Amino acid sequence: MQVSAQQKIKLSPWKYAVAVWLTVVISAGFLIDIPMIPILLETSRNLFLHVPMWFTMIAIFFAGLVYSIRYLSNGRLDMDIHAETATAVGIVFGICGLLTGAMWARFTWGSWWTFAEPKLNLSAMAMMIYVAYFVLRSAFDDPEKRAKVAAVYNIFAASTIPFLLFIIPRQLPSLHPGADGNPAFSDLTAPELRWIFYPAVIGFIGLGWWMKDILYRYKKLQQKLETESV
Amino acid sequence: MLQPLITLLLFFLGASDPQFEDWEGMEEVEYSSSFMQLLASNDLIFVVLGVSLLIWFTLLFFIVRLDRKVSQLERQNRDQNS
Repeated sequence: MQVSAQQKIKLSPWKYAVAVWLTVVISAGFLIDIPMIPILLETSRNLFLHVPMWFTMIAIFFAGLVYSIRYLSNGRLDMDIHAETATAVGIVFGICGLLTGAMWARFTWGSWWTFAEPKLNLSAMAMMIYVAYFVLRSAFDDPEKRAKVAAVYNIFAASTIPFLLFIIPRQLPSLHPGADGNPAFSDLTAPELRWIFYPAVIGFIGLGWWMKDILYRYKKLQQKLETESV
Repeated sequence: MLQPLITLLLFFLGASDPQFEDWEGMEEVEYSSSFMQLLASNDLIFVVLGVSLLIWFTLLFFIVRLDRKVSQLERQNRDQNS
């Protein structure tokens, strides 16, 4: 098959911006001077990596929720593909959040996982609720029916996130900062850490969106080829 | 029969070689190049940064190529249909 004149394929400029942005943020995260907090020591730098995983997951799940609502209101199958791919990328970031958290916990709290810590259990539960989204999708062959049921389920799944990740953990004693009704940034977290933390959140959300964009275009093309071949 | 094999294995593991036996790791080595000296400073944090950036750039290279490949397929599909 002929490829049209082999023009150079350029990515959208925002993707290059994400690449440069994250490179700068990661470097800065290693290079800035951080206060040596007892027990945490240099692992305070994990704040720039571990926490943005969760923020990215939440942001992308939220985008998935918006797409699911839009699917229910306009019935366009594109919206369903958007919701599906957003949720898939969200789960990837959630898994990274769980794994990096376990690693960090091992060397500061002394255990890979503790069932005494509400945030760990509830975030694992949130992940399982989202995995069930894909199990549910796989149960339908008819795309319309699958899209509709998945969209309704996704609204339920997304509505559990504020409770599982914010409301309940803050009512319970926890090793995480932000327990007992405190804001997550307290006197334990030095203010200079925020100067890298917030840009890191933006950068990782950008990366997640980039991944979702590729996955969406792949799924869209796949769907197109399938309908053409019928 | 087994002896030569074991000797060979030990050789590859570096166990029988006296050069490896009294190897004490790197300590306060003076590098001639100032770049290498910089890398070795600050409790070696720059080495961790270097490793992280290598991984990040490799992943970035992969995602950029993947994006281009999908774009290429999209274009082929568009051209075929028109």
